[in-house]
Amino acid sequence: MTDIPLENYRQWASTPLTTRPIYSVVIPAYNEEWRIVPTIGAIATHMSSLGEPWEMIIADDGSTDSTVELVQELELANVQLLIAEQNGGKGSAVRRGMLRARGDIVLFADADQSTPIEQFTALKSLIDEGFDVVVGSRSAEGSDVANKSFLRQVFSRGLNLLVRVVFRIPVADTQCGFKMFTAEASETLFQRQVIDEFSFDLEVLYLAKKLGMKTAECPVEWFDAPGSKVDPFKVAIEFLQNLAVIRWNDVRGLYKSANHELPAKAPLAAEPTEKTKTSTAPTGS
Amino acid sequence: MQIEHLHDAPSNSSTLMLNGRFDAHETDAFRATFDGLNDDGIHHITVGLGDVEFLDSTALAELVRGMKRCRENGGDLVLSSLSDPVRVILELTRLDAAFTIN
Ligand SMILES: Nc1nc2c(ncn2[C@@H]2O[C@H](COP(=O)(O)OP(=O)(O)OP(=O)(O)O)[C@@H](O)[C@H]2O)c(=O)[nH]1
Ligand SMILES: [Mg+2]
Repeated sequence: MTDIPLENYRQWASTPLTTRPIYSVVIPAYNEEWRIVPTIGAIATHMSSLGEPWEMIIADDGSTDSTVELVQELELANVQLLIAEQNGGKGSAVRRGMLRARGDIVLFADADQSTPIEQFTALKSLIDEGFDVVVGSRSAEGSDVANKSFLRQVFSRGLNLLVRVVFRIPVADTQCGFKMFTAEASETLFQRQVIDEFSFDLEVLYLAKKLGMKTAECPVEWFDAPGSKVDPFKVAIEFLQNLAVIRWNDVRGLYKSANHELPAKAPLAAEPTEKTKTSTAPTGS
Repeated sequence: MQIEHLHDAPSNSSTLMLNGRFDAHETDAFRATFDGLNDDGIHHITVGLGDVEFLDSTALAELVRGMKRCRENGGDLVLSSLSDPVRVILELTRLDAAFTIN
């Protein structure tokens, strides 16, 4: 087995990028001290093995546990850690991360690795084909869902039916926490979307359709991760309310233009100068 | 995740070759196999992780528990042939220092 992927990882972990990243991976994180470090390890190893410059963005969401400290202690050179003072909901965390992303292709992925990062390449090939938005789907033909409870399946079927009928969004799985965007699509969508809670996914897909973007679904492997902090009943009710909210927002013209400013992007590290490259002459004793 | 068990009678040691994703859904099966070996007096156990691409915190905790149990009985749990992501996960969690790795 070759160790080139591992070498790529070591380089990525220790040396800040001097060129703009091609890929950005955004991970929203709310009280993820138990799950975040293995997820970062798996994502960092795989993404580095692709051989392109890339960055990771951890969008903390006002975690009250040690999530932030754990990420800081890793001291990874190409991780942007965005700390939030307060919990604002997954939608707000993803938005903050997406708007800071510097890559040409931007993925957001849940902190629990429920969709393994190995699926990145499958989604990316659809972006390469010309799609603006590619959503991981646990319902598309060929997806492989492990450990998903019966109740959750009933729930997601009911909600999906509503989405198709009421919104005419041709996406079977709106909620999968693994979605990829071109930089342009990401900035346009996340500057407009206003829902801070879990239904932001639906709002983003709604906006993509409204703005004439090309959206594709890509079947993914999915593992129902234990330790999820989501109550499916609460989410379902919130989801229904948000369906109405999205419609109302659109009717009153909220989606006509940006609702959030594009923040300044983090500067790249300076190219090493001649002076820092050459070793300093030994000083006399 | 698949668990393949190889036993070496002369040294009374075992190897568990794991294949797939080792997460909280798999720890019961792992524990059953692992504790079975310990109950049979096998305390030198190698866990092969070459075909495991992801380990979550629950799986890591399970491996630590197994290592302690082996060491209490004069043996050890040795991790071998780590895949790249598993090596990185062990490093980032600082568990590479706790385990014997070969
Ligand atoms: N629960 C929750 N998660 C948040 C919040 N803000 C950001 N997140 C992140 O959003 C992602 C999804 O969280 P999960 O708890 O796995 O929720 P889920 O994937 O919708 O639910 P499951 O399908 O049960 O796994 C994780 O990366 C969380 O850390 C928040 O306010 N609440
Ligand atoms: Mg999840």
